[in-house]
Amino acid sequence: MADHIRPAGIFDTTYEQDIALNRTRTDKFLQYGGLVALLLIPLLTSRSFLGLNILPDYVVVTINTIAIFVIAAQGLNILIGYTGQISLGHAAFMAVGAYSGALLAKGFAIPIGESMLQIGPFSFWIALPLAALFTGLVGLLFGLPSLRVKGFYLAMATLAAQFIIPWIIEHPLQPYTNAPEILQGIPQPTIGPLVFARPIEMYYIIVPLSVLLMLASRNIMRTRVGRAFISIRDNDLAAELLGINVFWYKLQSFFLSSLYAGIAGALIAFERNAITTETFSLETSIALLAMLVIGGAGYPKAALFGVAFVRLLTDVIIPAIGPAFNSTLTALLPFVDGTNIGPSLQPIIFGVALVIFLIFEPRGLAYRWEVLRIAWKIRPFAN
Amino acid sequence: MTQSNRSLQRAGTWLFYAIVALLLFLWLQPLAAQKSGNTIIQRTIGGVMLGSIYAIMALGIVVINKASGVFNFAHGAMMMIAGYMFFSFFNTQAISLVAAGLLAFSTVVLGFTMGGWRELFIPQRLITALIIGIILTLMMTSGGTEQRWLHALTGAVTGAVLIGLLVERLTIRPLIGQPIFAAVMVTLALNEVIRGITTLIWGSQPKSLLIFAEPHPFLPDQFVRIQTPITIEPTGLLGFLEGPVNIDQPRFMAFLLALATFALFWFFFRFTNIGLAMRATSENQQLAQSVGLRVRVILAITWAIATVMAGVAGLFYAGSSAASSIDTNFHFVILRAFPAVLLGGLESIGGALVGGLIIGLSEEWAKLLFTGDVAENLAPYIVLMIVLILRPEGLFGEKRIERI
Repeated sequence: MADHIRPAGIFDTTYEQDIALNRTRTDKFLQYGGLVALLLIPLLTSRSFLGLNILPDYVVVTINTIAIFVIAAQGLNILIGYTGQISLGHAAFMAVGAYSGALLAKGFAIPIGESMLQIGPFSFWIALPLAALFTGLVGLLFGLPSLRVKGFYLAMATLAAQFIIPWIIEHPLQPYTNAPEILQGIPQPTIGPLVFARPIEMYYIIVPLSVLLMLASRNIMRTRVGRAFISIRDNDLAAELLGINVFWYKLQSFFLSSLYAGIAGALIAFERNAITTETFSLETSIALLAMLVIGGAGYPKAALFGVAFVRLLTDVIIPAIGPAFNSTLTALLPFVDGTNIGPSLQPIIFGVALVIFLIFEPRGLAYRWEVLRIAWKIRPFAN
Repeated sequence: MTQSNRSLQRAGTWLFYAIVALLLFLWLQPLAAQKSGNTIIQRTIGGVMLGSIYAIMALGIVVINKASGVFNFAHGAMMMIAGYMFFSFFNTQAISLVAAGLLAFSTVVLGFTMGGWRELFIPQRLITALIIGIILTLMMTSGGTEQRWLHALTGAVTGAVLIGLLVERLTIRPLIGQPIFAAVMVTLALNEVIRGITTLIWGSQPKSLLIFAEPHPFLPDQFVRIQTPITIEPTGLLGFLEGPVNIDQPRFMAFLLALATFALFWFFFRFTNIGLAMRATSENQQLAQSVGLRVRVILAITWAIATVMAGVAGLFYAGSSAASSIDTNFHFVILRAFPAVLLGGLESIGGALVGGLIIGLSEEWAKLLFTGDVAENLAPYIVLMIVLILRPEGLFGEKRIERI
């Protein structure tokens, strides 16, 4: 697998060593230490019961968003990075997850003949897996064209999902979803007396779930299924000749990918307690694709690096450097109106960053990270 | 045994298609029967006219795909920025000589250095470049508002060529030899960048593009979109019509211009040397290079031409739309041309025309049969899904023979 670039002089002696998640004790220490540190972050903000005020509050919200998008991007990574099927409709699957999760938690009634069939309300812990499964099935449906088409043609078929799904949510299902208006009052997750209402509490659902799903996807890639995915990506004809049922595994990949998207969408619904279809537009799909490219599609840490980079760029860095641009640009270019700079900065910087990554580091941040790790390991020798 | 099995299977497939077609007909027929024959004819004419504009959009994408194998997702943004440039040159009273000169000379410099920077220092070429640059600058600035058509056309075409060359030089050329996925992602990124630049310069307010306009009936020196439709009376050969059929005049002009543009580019590819070289390059880049064609130059020309085509399509669409204006959401129009490209096949120029017409027709008919935004967003993609299931390579696309 791509993440196992070995420094010179380190050899595998057993199969277990080859597929191990943590190859060295340092790795293990860093991974577990990182997890513990991540779980301690909310305790350092002013909202925790400790009353410390070391980190600003928005850190928790930012990490929540990043963790949710990591799940979605990892789903896309399974589809694009490992199976090699381009999808332009991932945000639509997130919408399916969000709306089905929200509706299952709120409860709704379907008229059957004279009577009404009441479904739900379910608790969060049942609604989330049901929503994920349902999204997976919808993903299967839109994966069906992959039987006959590939490349751009498949990308267009998934782009069709990006138009068809929001339309279905907004028109035939409008009485249930209230789309395109906001659907409000999504119940909060509870365990007994414990209510997960604020971002700082949702943090303890979202972040562990995100870590768990990342681990799960990494585990899938170590199995027969994962190896089949990779062989389809590398050469689907050769994979077929090897006896791999290409269509079956492509469908599995679509299912898994939409499952992840569904979980991410449902988490967005439960974190914000209100959703609109606008959150899941074509721009979100393209942004997810861009995150994956910047992170390095096909690497297990691609989703993490890509999402963290893009969210930090758009949520933290651009607002910070915006005012500086405001004064210099209006001074340099007399025809530019100051009010237009705000909305135009984000697409320009985002696009330029993506172009730079594609030209100078097409394998993404995850690859750069592996190279850095090896350079650190074998210092002071050059790698 | 296997032979008969296969023919049985084929018969089963056709039977399935026939049943689906019958069901579709049974579903749509009562919907259509409620409408008068006249509206259906009017919608059909409207669909053909709209489709011709989609065909030009599709043609630009097909040309780039044929030459470099890249599916250009930035085509919509290119349409938008060329339209805005036309707006600026059309509506500015006095065009600054410095700005026009900068635009003209940067385009000329980029154009003359397509093969490499050294080519500019050949004296003969340098002089040609200077003369062309000066002529372009003069064409953009000479005269007053009565020359606005000349200003706007020169300015928009020069700007579009500049953008095409810049895109090729800065992003596509460094990616030669990389996987095609990277080049496609770059066009998605370019879409964002061009969109941002457009917002930065022109703002988010809609700008009116009154190109199919007549003088305002009351206000002097003002223009409005042509309102009076072309009316076809039910007389003579057309006696079967139930009443007069109205055709929107701007749309009709755009339709004629679009057909002319399509024919022009078709002639260009079919009968000129550069067109022949472009077709050769699209067949096989290495072979083209080995017979002495300069592939890099040809790729640059292709991008420039495709960007001009994008600008032309954007102008026709925005100018003939009901509001006759362009805004920063204009690039979403291209999402309706993508199905046209794939319907006709990614490699087929004739397919772009057919695909565009089919999409235009399906959009107008859907407007007739359903309410809401079904027509604009859903109909093209549903037609596309049906065609892709029947013919995965599009109607006229090349069937790929793959090897390991």
